[in-house]
Amino acid sequence: MINFNTNIGQGVPQAGSAGVGMTKGKTAGSKSGFADTVKAAREYISKVDDLQQSSDISIKDLLSGKNEDITSVVSAVAKADMSFKLLVGVRNKLIEGYKQTMNMPL
Amino acid sequence: MEVNTGFSPIDIAVSGLRAGSKRMEVISSNVANARSTDNGNGEPYRRLEAVFKTDGDGLGGVILDEVAEDMSDFQRLLNPGHPDADEQGYVSMPNVKMPVEMMNLNVAARAYQANAAVLKRYQQMVETTLELLR
Repeated sequence: MINFNTNIGQGVPQAGSAGVGMTKGKTAGSKSGFADTVKAAREYISKVDDLQQSSDISIKDLLSGKNEDITSVVSAVAKADMSFKLLVGVRNKLIEGYKQTMNMPL
Repeated sequence: MEVNTGFSPIDIAVSGLRAGSKRMEVISSNVANARSTDNGNGEPYRRLEAVFKTDGDGLGGVILDEVAEDMSDFQRLLNPGHPDADEQGYVSMPNVKMPVEMMNLNVAARAYQANAAVLKRYQQMVETTLELLR
């Protein structure tokens, strides 16, 4: 299965149980805040960008005749698409959380 | 989301797609050469068969092991006027049998479709997971 190993759930408080695959990149302080989550998302963006670029390159190679294997294009595009969808989903959730915090009546 | 190589369903399905197109290549070669009486070595064309093996042990994609020759007997056809005919007037024809190739073609096309379906369904599964985020 896919390895959702991007520390994105860090900002979510967890009741006792440690999340799977969330040990990497955790800061020294046990409580990580919203900023850390945003930082993790920023790191993830560059990963997604890498996948997008490799899919772009494979499409260009196919069209210019450098590469004739269409299945590699399919795999690159599928990976880029899936990771981008995850990124958009996480981004929407982050913004939603930010908005909810901002709209909190004080 | 790291899509780790050699393990993810995408890579496995894509390796299946590649194997499918290789199989199609072999079948098209067989069909095209079904009447080739000379392969350059004084023999008629020998039917080819794509042999596949698992990539890695157990869980993994498929890779082409070899393109093996079918060692069954050639068909003998009486055609004395043919330049490749022997003294009795018989010509050795390739051991390609069209009905078999057509069946293999169907199997290869279906296998290709199946791999494409796996790829598509896996993407749908991931999207279902991401729906949970909303």
